[in-house]
Amino acid sequence: MAFQCRLSGATIHSLKMATIPISSSSSRFIFRTLPQTLNHALFSRHTPPKAPPFSVLIRAFSAQAVVAAPAAEISDDKVVKPQWKAAIDFKWIRDNKEAVATNIKSRNSNANLELVLELYDKMLNLQKEVERLRGERNNVANKMKGKLEPSERQKLVEEGKNLKEALTTLEEDLINLRDELQFEAQCIPNMTHPDVPIGGEDSSKLRNMVGSPLSFDFLVKDHLQIGKELDLFDFDAAAEVSGSKFYYLKNEAVMMEMALVNWTLTEVMKKGFTPLTTPEIVRSSVVEKCGFQPRGENTQVYSIEDSDQCLIGTAEIPVGGIHMDSIVSESSLPLKYVAFSHCFRTEAGAAGTATRGLYRVHQFSKVEMFIFCKQEESDMYHEELIKIEEDLFSSLGLHYKTLDMATGDLGAPAYRKFDVEAWMPGLGRYGEISSASNCTDYQSRRLGIRYRPSESPSTTSNKGKTNQAAPKFVHTLNATACAVPRMLVCLLENFQQEDGSVIIPDPLRPFMGGIEAIYPKSR
Amino acid sequence: MKGKLEPSERQKLVEEGKNLKEGLTTLEEDLINLRDELQLEAQCIPNMTHPDVPIGGEDSSKLRNVVGSPLSFDFPVKDHLQIGKELDLFDFDAAAEVSGSKFYYLKNEAVMLEIALVNWTLTEVMKKSFTPLTTPEIVRSSVVEKCGFQPRGENTQVYSIEDSDQCLIGTAEIPVGGIHMDSIVSESSLPLKYVAFSHCFRTEAGAAGTATRGLYRVHQFSKVEMFILCKQEESDMYHDELIKIEEDLFSSLGLHYKTLDMATGDLGAPAYRKFDVEAWMPGLGRYGEISSASNCTDYQSRRLGIRYRPSESPTTSKKGKTNQATPKFVHTLNATACAVPRMLVCLLENFQQEDGSVIIPKPLRPFMGGIEAIYPKSR
Repeated sequence: MAFQCRLSGATIHSLKMATIPISSSSSRFIFRTLPQTLNHALFSRHTPPKAPPFSVLIRAFSAQAVVAAPAAEISDDKVVKPQWKAAIDFKWIRDNKEAVATNIKSRNSNANLELVLELYDKMLNLQKEVERLRGERNNVANKMKGKLEPSERQKLVEEGKNLKEALTTLEEDLINLRDELQFEAQCIPNMTHPDVPIGGEDSSKLRNMVGSPLSFDFLVKDHLQIGKELDLFDFDAAAEVSGSKFYYLKNEAVMMEMALVNWTLTEVMKKGFTPLTTPEIVRSSVVEKCGFQPRGENTQVYSIEDSDQCLIGTAEIPVGGIHMDSIVSESSLPLKYVAFSHCFRTEAGAAGTATRGLYRVHQFSKVEMFIFCKQEESDMYHEELIKIEEDLFSSLGLHYKTLDMATGDLGAPAYRKFDVEAWMPGLGRYGEISSASNCTDYQSRRLGIRYRPSESPSTTSNKGKTNQAAPKFVHTLNATACAVPRMLVCLLENFQQEDGSVIIPDPLRPFMGGIEAIYPKSR
Repeated sequence: MKGKLEPSERQKLVEEGKNLKEGLTTLEEDLINLRDELQLEAQCIPNMTHPDVPIGGEDSSKLRNVVGSPLSFDFPVKDHLQIGKELDLFDFDAAAEVSGSKFYYLKNEAVMLEIALVNWTLTEVMKKSFTPLTTPEIVRSSVVEKCGFQPRGENTQVYSIEDSDQCLIGTAEIPVGGIHMDSIVSESSLPLKYVAFSHCFRTEAGAAGTATRGLYRVHQFSKVEMFILCKQEESDMYHDELIKIEEDLFSSLGLHYKTLDMATGDLGAPAYRKFDVEAWMPGLGRYGEISSASNCTDYQSRRLGIRYRPSESPTTSKKGKTNQATPKFVHTLNATACAVPRMLVCLLENFQQEDGSVIIPKPLRPFMGGIEAIYPKSR
């Protein structure tokens, strides 16, 4: 499902610090430079949201000469402290900065690569400095062990004290620097598969086309009208009870939802996927680690009052979280899950025509596939996932096209994304019914999911111990097997008959008590 | 002041009018405040009670029915948590990391068992002419209040959504009750009988203690709920119908249970009368509530504003117009057809076998692809 990721980050155009000699007491400078514009085209083409302003508390440090100009604006001294750290490979980013920069641009991301590299450099230097000071302090401590003249001892004590103070300051600076580096670096989107077309929505490439639009020799109705006539849903009562974009399903529509979920789970289980149901309330940190922004403006995420919890917008989140902070054995891979859950989305900022009826709703049922695998196998599993999806939709008799989404449409976590758009005759256009993303190690670096490669037989250390290979990050993939409301739109609109009935596709009938069609009810 | 008056008389009247107007404004405000305060206090008054309901606390509840008897096992009985662990049916540990305690993932056959339970229950209840529904799980908090729950009290069971007046439902009773909010239905449309499937969310604040292990008390679960709107004189009859449907469902699954007529101390404000079903859970070693059927008479309908217009009586007024009878408040009833986690506890604990497998009750098998049992998986 296209659940665009938004990453907002206040970009600080320059860090300005004053020169301070090491021996004097440190002074604090509070800097905040508000960015002039925040380009969040990464998230939404039509409504670029504003990111909440951030400020950074930076203590002056070290004897490095820097620009002396004062900060442009000073306001709240909130420390940027991410609650968790992504295991970002800074060295790799630095070594491949041209590729990373090009990628950031083609993704329309607002990540500030220059700043990340600058902070990384500073951090390395600061680390060295901290280590150097530690070394000196150890020297002093060692010297103090021997026999000394009182005046000498006193000097050493002084020196030791100064070193300790300076070290404390630098160590705090290092922590803050690491936090800021994390914050900026987390904005950097995943790299992109070389075959992905570069550009906006229109540049997406057609991968596959199955069937063709059904022709009708009577006036085609849209799903809302069909639903009204067959007494299948109620949006009006739901608007009173809950608000717009909520609905009740009634009568055969309830059975269709059950049949769709049941049939989809059964089919995907045959391919070796473990079925799951998941919590629909999760900690917001898990949402962030999957690449979503629970508390940005125009966020898609509902938050629970007085808690750090949110409602999930997709089962991708609780499933990704299952193996959080762990190392799995290579032999357990691939781990393939098919999860059924309800999903909740605020759909903030999604005004317009593409919101009618079941097409865009706040709550819906979805069956989601999720794979954890070895790095070298993710492309292969991406192909497997899209094939499973296409087989499902073909079985139902839908006409659809599969697209290789262009860079501007990818969203931060995806390395590559295939969307399936099915023909919806009532709407008169194609509508997205499914999305399959290969997130490579973007999510696993945040969720902390690694695997230990099997011991290789060739290398043993001199001492005769077998080498344990360093753990690697898994690759994660997710794909929509069935998003119920969009499927209902497809089924109702495509299989409507002139007499007002709707034919049920063969595969679903056994899961609906054998019903062959939904007929108008006599009143 | 409409007639012809002397200026001095007119002036006196103007003064008097002005005083009256001020006096009136003050009194009218007082009246509004008084009405509000009256509402607030009066809303606290619980529903009246059916004359047959035993008076007292939990222990005074009266046994209405017992079906079956506790199964005897000739091997040590496991509780559902242990069974679930051995058969790889749920994961509470991962859920505790991702979401918090009292959350869980269902896995493998447990997923199919949940789907079969829901599917079978809906199918059975639909045969009794209940209209199947799925409902919103986010609702306005005012609707929660009108059903008799307190969304923002301390120790509330209700999750609220940040920056909004919305909450998560703890039961489908709420969105279903809300369907006919603020409306007058025709008498001929009654009874309106709904069977609704939804996920339910409960904070379970203040529910510490032993009765919280595993699936017995969780923050999120699937439930199939029956809801009836009917004429006032028919609610007792439908209450009996609802408890009969529940008992038939549980008997079909082969459960041993008892039905209780709950005492006054255990009723909760909206209920006029409440029947609870407690099933034998051998792993827990006691009876556990799996279902509840309440007759709320007009408590909820007076808050939700749901009335019906009785059919015209043959009496016509002197002027020859037919009398339109005054609308009356409907009576509402709700009953749990299937609360999935409690059912899972019952099925796993009652139908466990010595070899570690669990037999699936026959009615559920067609809804699970024909599976007859859950077997330990070879590792």
